[in-house]
Amino acid sequence: MNDIILQIESIKKSFVRNIINIRGEQEDERFYIIDDLDLLIPQGKITALIGGNGAGKTTLFNIISNFIKADSGDVLYKKNDSLMSIIGLPTFKITRMGIGRMFQDDHIFPNMSVLENMLLADNDKFGETPFISLLKPKQNRNIEKERIEKAQHIFANLFGKSNPLWDKKDDLAKSLSFGQQRLLGLTRLFMGNYKLVLLDEPTAGVNPQIIQQALGIIRRLVTENEVTVFLIEHNMKVVLELADFCSFMSHGKITAFGTPEDVIGNDEVRKTYLGI
Amino acid sequence: MNYIFHILIMINIYVILTVSTNLLVGMTNLLSLGQAAFYGIGAYLAVFALMVLKLPLIPVIILVMIGTALFSLIIAYPSLRLKGDYFVLATLGFQLIVFTILYNLVSVTRGPYGIPGIPAPKLFGVMQISGLVPFLILSLILAIITIFVFYKLVHTPFGRALKGLRDDEIAISSLGRNVTVFKIWAFVISSAFIGIAGFIYAAYVSYIDPTSFNLDEAIFILAAVLIGGTGNIKGPVVGAIFVVVLPELLRFVGFPDSVAANLRQIVYGMSLIVLMLYRPQGIAGEYRLQ
Repeated sequence: MNDIILQIESIKKSFVRNIINIRGEQEDERFYIIDDLDLLIPQGKITALIGGNGAGKTTLFNIISNFIKADSGDVLYKKNDSLMSIIGLPTFKITRMGIGRMFQDDHIFPNMSVLENMLLADNDKFGETPFISLLKPKQNRNIEKERIEKAQHIFANLFGKSNPLWDKKDDLAKSLSFGQQRLLGLTRLFMGNYKLVLLDEPTAGVNPQIIQQALGIIRRLVTENEVTVFLIEHNMKVVLELADFCSFMSHGKITAFGTPEDVIGNDEVRKTYLGI
Repeated sequence: MNYIFHILIMINIYVILTVSTNLLVGMTNLLSLGQAAFYGIGAYLAVFALMVLKLPLIPVIILVMIGTALFSLIIAYPSLRLKGDYFVLATLGFQLIVFTILYNLVSVTRGPYGIPGIPAPKLFGVMQISGLVPFLILSLILAIITIFVFYKLVHTPFGRALKGLRDDEIAISSLGRNVTVFKIWAFVISSAFIGIAGFIYAAYVSYIDPTSFNLDEAIFILAAVLIGGTGNIKGPVVGAIFVVVLPELLRFVGFPDSVAANLRQIVYGMSLIVLMLYRPQGIAGEYRLQ
């Protein structure tokens, strides 16, 4: 087995939901969306997470990056060749340790230009404190120039010499088409110095051409930047084409793990998720 | 002529107030109802520095900035943990507390009697700054410095991070930025400059009492920012000019002072409603409040 970059250990997360019981009374019921979930993410590989709507996939991502607190359990992340617990650390610290995130609804900055979106994603935060930004203008200018070159280089590398996103670098991000916003969200990940990225449905709702571009970008994250990818995906074609491993989530647990072919061939997955 | 000088000084004071408030409201999306409290704290600290410590001009300004910034830190830390409307309520609470203290701590602030006879500040310990023209020059210089600093700030990586924070808090923290630290910076810088406005007001009018720094004033400052427009520097400057010049224009139209004062409130209210309907980013702003 490969090295493990992320180890998820018996995570539990419950919500209280208000239901009307059989006698017509209102009643609070504790509902476990994630129930004692264990999962290992192999380093340098692409692992897909599949499962029905509401299975808790996005909740799991939110627990890893600490937008939501788990009831119990632990998340261990490989840092300098040893696993350390990252559960409960603030989101920004988790990101600084090298865990990037792309959201289902992109979360790009709509009122900022395409270029500003890229520059703000840089892992070097120099100049982002007021005194340094005012008192060291020369150093600031140089680093800003390097940032812009870095962004330009990333765009050229991903999309070729004449690329639509770089041509629109001064346009507001909200003026981009949905597909282009998605590509910007993915491209932004190259600015950070990530070891692991969590992608929440990177191919949802975009046309086949953009899907192919997105897949190309994700592969390059792995091959060129040695990033590990953990992605939620509903498109089985994409899972088969892209992923090295696949895990199936159901009833708050991982009930199947293996190569995509194995998992998609699994009886339970076929019956409960794929409906075939 | 004196009348015009007076108006210009008031414009300068309000430019400082609105440009610094814009860093919170327009750049960081933090709606604060406590700006008049910092204005008041700045004014009372200036009085303390001028009357008790008898400091010259530049040390007074430095003391006022640092003092107001420290006060703002006390309120920033607990209230910035709150989100959205709850933050607005926390700043409102702070505004009411500060006003009540200024009003009732008679032994220190003389409460409702106010503090008369505030001495003019001395430049380098010799040149006395008093009279309209010197104050016009002083307030103009301070307003220009404020505009310059905030213009620079907005166009640095720090300003960019604030813009990102305003656009999408989740995204910015998922890019490894500490949201709380940025908010505290915005809050503290904004308050420090608002303190300067308090200093100019106290030294210029040479009399202060707590009613100049009540909730009405806080809403007035906020209205000036929203009318002028948020998100850039131009907007708040336009807003400051608008709210200072408008009542004077009403007076020229020929309304008696008693009517003009009430009419002024109505015009502010109307312009806010009309702007929010047809031009939510304000007269010259670029950012629509969410």
